[in-house]
Formats: sequence, structure tokens, C-alpha cells
Amino acid sequence: MNGWIFPALILALLTAAVWKRLAVYDLFVAGAKEGMRTAVQVLPNLAAMLCAISMMRAAGLLDALCAACAPALLWLGLPPEIAPLVLIRPVSGSGALAMLEELLERYGPDSRIGLIASTVMGSSETIFYTVCIYLSASARKNSGYAIPCSLLGMAVSTWLAGMLF
Amino acid sequence: MEAALKGCENAISLTLQLGAGYLLFCGLMEIVKEAGISGWMERRLRPLLRWLMPSVRSEETREAIALNLSMNALGLGNAATPQGIRAVRLISEEEKHAPAVRHDLYMLLILNATGLQLLPTTVLTLRIAAGSANAQAVVAPVLLCTAVSTLVGVLPALWIRRR
Repeated sequence: MNGWIFPALILALLTAAVWKRLAVYDLFVAGAKEGMRTAVQVLPNLAAMLCAISMMRAAGLLDALCAACAPALLWLGLPPEIAPLVLIRPVSGSGALAMLEELLERYGPDSRIGLIASTVMGSSETIFYTVCIYLSASARKNSGYAIPCSLLGMAVSTWLAGMLF
Repeated sequence: MEAALKGCENAISLTLQLGAGYLLFCGLMEIVKEAGISGWMERRLRPLLRWLMPSVRSEETREAIALNLSMNALGLGNAATPQGIRAVRLISEEEKHAPAVRHDLYMLLILNATGLQLLPTTVLTLRIAAGSANAQAVVAPVLLCTAVSTLVGVLPALWIRRR
């Protein structure tokens, strides 16, 4: 699916642009310049986030958190095996992706665990990371009620994923 | 110490990957913008955004927000993020004159953090790679769950604002 959708979109875009007689190359270079600046601006925030995650992982704190959360997940009708995924998901996108891959491999993509894990991964976002990245561009240094509201949304949709399968 | 340094090392490699994505997608987005596609998307989103973020004044800010959200919905995360950051920077400018705009910033954060993705391409790829007999079985549940998570995130924010 990923194999043809992107080339098709890009081809459609370029066709439309050429049709409209746009200076495709100049536009691309101008946009890319803006993109490079954004990437550099975001680096310090990334370092702080990844540093904290890496240290928590090395100290075994993440594992301890997962074990502690198992009873709560069972009470919500969710398999405790998805605890690490649910915990890592709001913090680290790549961590969650690695976790999903391990779950799909261990329990199978069509098992209840695999289906719920896929749904949780696909319907949620890296909440803390997203807020951190976006806020780095603002003069404001607090996100108000944005994180509690987003976490509530993710909690309800995770519970719903358990109900669907 | 080792873990801390490792984290910073990851940040650098991730920035390189992000940078590559930004170069490509920001380049393409510039073409999308000029080709009038963003204008079409923005018009579709405008009534909803005006209701969700009533304090945003500038057209440029509205355009960045609409671009950010529509790219996110299409699953073009690498293209959506720079637009979101641009939107936040513009909202931050407006906040100097109108403090109420901070609620619109929170709303933008919630809409992004609850994910409005229409097609979970990464998950589908992983499921196919894991040998699923029916990889697409999660497409409808993901749509339902992502809609519910956005709704559950947005409603209390609207309530807090109006209180």
C-alpha cells in the first residue's frame, strides 16, 4: 500500500503543478530551506526528551511501571500484555513502534492482543513528544490543559479498542 | 551517564532523519501550497476551525493550521509537523496582542496529540510484515478510535474555555 500511494501522490502533485505552469524546482528549494531551519530548531528539545527516556529505560524504571499497571488494564478489559505499548506510546513514537512489532511477532497480528495493539498504535499519537515539539516554537512554556485532555482521549479510545475485539 | 549520552546521540541521528523528511516534504508542500490544493483543503476545514479556534485572527495562521491538520489526517506526519510548528509560531505572535489565543494553541495541541489519521499506513505495513491474514481488519476500528479520542480530547477543552 505504501509502495504506490506516495509515488502516485507526488506524480499527481507534479502533474498539477506543471499544468498550472508553476516553477516546481524553485518552489521545492524554497520550501526545503524552511524545512531545514525547522529541523535544527527542534534538536535541543529532542535531545532532552530522548535523554530522559534513555535513562529511564537503563534504570529499569519502564519495566517496573509496566508491571504496576497490569491490574488496571485487566480491570478495563484489556490484556496486560499491551501495558508497555500503552505506556510508551504517549512518550516515544519509535519506542511504541518497536513495542508493537514485538507484540505482533510474539502473539500474532490476528490475535486479540495483536488486533488491540495495532488499533491502539494506529489511533493514538505521541502526545508528550508532539506537545514538546510544537511548544518549542512558541514563547509559551506550558501547555495548559492540552496534555490532560489528550491523555483522556487516548485512555477512552484504548478502552474502546478492547471493547471492539 | 552512558544512557544520557546515548539519548543525545539518538537526538542527533533522529534530527538527521527528520531533517531529510523536512527537506523533502517542505519542498513538496511549497508546491502543494502554490498549486492551490491547500486553499481547497483550508476552505473545507474553515467552518470547523473557526468554531474550534475562534480567537485566531490572521489568515496565514489559519492556513498553517488547516494545512497541518489536513496533512496529519492524510498520514503525512513529516509534512504536517513543520506546518504545525509554523502555526504555533504564528499563534505565539498573535498572543502578544490577544492572550485568549492561548486556548486556540491548546486546541491545536489537542487536535495533533489525539491524532486524526485516516489511514494508519505504518501499522498496516507492520501487520503485513508480521504475516497477517487480514491486515486491514484494524482500519475501521482505528478510524472509530481516533475519532473518539479526538472528540473526548476536544470536548473538555471547549468546556474549560467557556467556563
